[in-house]
Amino acid sequence: MNGRPHSHRWPVGVAFCLPLLVGLCVLTIFPVGASFYFSLTDYPIFDPPHWRGLGNYAELLRDPRFYLSIWNTFYFAIFAVPLGMVVGLMLAMLLNLKVRGMAFYRTMFFLPSIVPLIATCVLWNQILNPQFGLLNEFLRFIGLPEAWIPGWLVDERWSKPGLVLMSLWGCGGGMVLYLAALQDVPQELHDSAAIDGATAWHRFRHITLPMISPILLFTLVMGMIGTMQYFAQAYVMTAGGPWDSTLFYALNLFNTAFTEYRLGYASAMAWIMFAIILSVTLAMMKLSNRFVYYHS
Amino acid sequence: MMRLRSWQMLAAHGVLIVLSVLFTMPFAWLLSTSVKVDEKIQAAHTEFIPRAPFIEDAGECLRVRPLMVKEGKQEVQIYRGSRLTEETRLVDPDAVRDRIYLDVANYTEAFQWFPFHRYLFNTLVICAIAVTGTILSCSLVAYGLACVPWRGREVLFWIMLSTMMLPGQVTMIPLFLTFKWLGWINTILPLTVPTFLGSAFFTFLLRQFYRSIPTDLLEAARLDGCGELGIWARIMMPLSRPALAVVGLFTFIGSWNDFLGPLIYLMDEDKYTLSIGLAMFQGQYGSDWGQMMAMATLMTLPIILLFFFTQKTFIQGVKLSGIKG
Repeated sequence: MNGRPHSHRWPVGVAFCLPLLVGLCVLTIFPVGASFYFSLTDYPIFDPPHWRGLGNYAELLRDPRFYLSIWNTFYFAIFAVPLGMVVGLMLAMLLNLKVRGMAFYRTMFFLPSIVPLIATCVLWNQILNPQFGLLNEFLRFIGLPEAWIPGWLVDERWSKPGLVLMSLWGCGGGMVLYLAALQDVPQELHDSAAIDGATAWHRFRHITLPMISPILLFTLVMGMIGTMQYFAQAYVMTAGGPWDSTLFYALNLFNTAFTEYRLGYASAMAWIMFAIILSVTLAMMKLSNRFVYYHS
Repeated sequence: MMRLRSWQMLAAHGVLIVLSVLFTMPFAWLLSTSVKVDEKIQAAHTEFIPRAPFIEDAGECLRVRPLMVKEGKQEVQIYRGSRLTEETRLVDPDAVRDRIYLDVANYTEAFQWFPFHRYLFNTLVICAIAVTGTILSCSLVAYGLACVPWRGREVLFWIMLSTMMLPGQVTMIPLFLTFKWLGWINTILPLTVPTFLGSAFFTFLLRQFYRSIPTDLLEAARLDGCGELGIWARIMMPLSRPALAVVGLFTFIGSWNDFLGPLIYLMDEDKYTLSIGLAMFQGQYGSDWGQMMAMATLMTLPIILLFFFTQKTFIQGVKLSGIKG
């Protein structure tokens, strides 16, 4: 590179990377090893861990709450992530029409996504209130019969949809990404396709969508990983209720660790979470080879 | 996009306006509930412009609290200033009229239970240390990974990237036990010290930025006898100010919003941050909507202001965090 052999520089390089090296050891490698060991033990916090082999994993496979929390999490992910992407993309496409006042609209849609999480929870707890909440007042206003008005967070059938709606309010973060990607789509492609008689739908399907597919894949994967770790909202707003309908995976894990103090069992849950995240991510990457177009 | 015809433009504006109103409604509800008088908060119809009942008395407007209706007359209790007095009157029901009125009582009353300034101070201390730690450590590491040629830096870089796949839940329990063993529970150390050990994502961002800086510049500085630490401090740090701003801003917001960390590590109420404080406040006083909204407003306002002052950096940061894929 500059005439001097690399090996002479390595003390300097390592010195600069020291924070990372220490961090890797102390904050990642050691805890990962310890966590794996704990997952094979019975570890009630006040007694030392005691070997259990694969017992925790076997118990998990028989644990109905474990399955329930997986079901709740997937239910939430399957609605919240794609809906958030669709709404975000729609907003971005509307903004990309280059209407006047775009910066204003963009701010309006983006602001909700930066409201502090706990403030959002407190706010939506009231918006989703079945009697006095803003949402149900709106539903009554548009003339929905009283029997159809959902109970949201106090009704186990509506608690997850309620949280999905809340998450949609924050879709502005994705919108900013999509908008940036849309603005990178070359105008000539659209123009020449239009001259050849392509309809708006065809241009969207065969030009826009392939061009922005990398960012769509990225937000899909990140969204899936994020919902696997969905925690604070459920902890603050519903504490997992009603009837465990919002007992999400990360909440179940947290409760197991920090209220039941079953550290070994919770560690096993963490490892299964990691396995799920890894396989879902890899599966999506694999599938995406067919759909995602990288032009650079 | 094709140029739109004027009716299409109009339709687009229409849709955008409707959507903006929908997205803004929760904010309007947040703000207006926070300055509403109690009897209006859970009213049958939400008023976005806060109003309160008043009566006219000898040319003077008095705020009142409606009590019961007795023999066709409305009994009301009189406010003097913002204080409710013992004084009651029987007035004609039509004489009680709503006027626009912003009430700060929700804020002042919430302050009695919710030590906002204390939590704000705690949060700001953690944010400040986290921003310092992250900027320092990530820029040092990024320099080591991008500007110093040495064998193994690529390997280290890929190891660092792969740790981003690891969910925090895996390391959560051993880290908790480690900090407990160190005696750091119920202090801010578990929330701040790790920021001095680099963050994979921000290091990645800065590394990409440093690589875009021409190496000639570094070589020239080296020939002039500038040490590596000097190059980092005098050349790279000033040059990477825009990237550092993104890192600082997002670290700040991350710390401001962090909930799980304080939930696990902070026990005493007087050590709480705004996030955990507000969540606990909701647990105890959640039925007092006005006060909840008042405190949620105060927690949100600084972030919104920060957004308006740093809009460019903010949007840039969101885009950068998306482009890493």
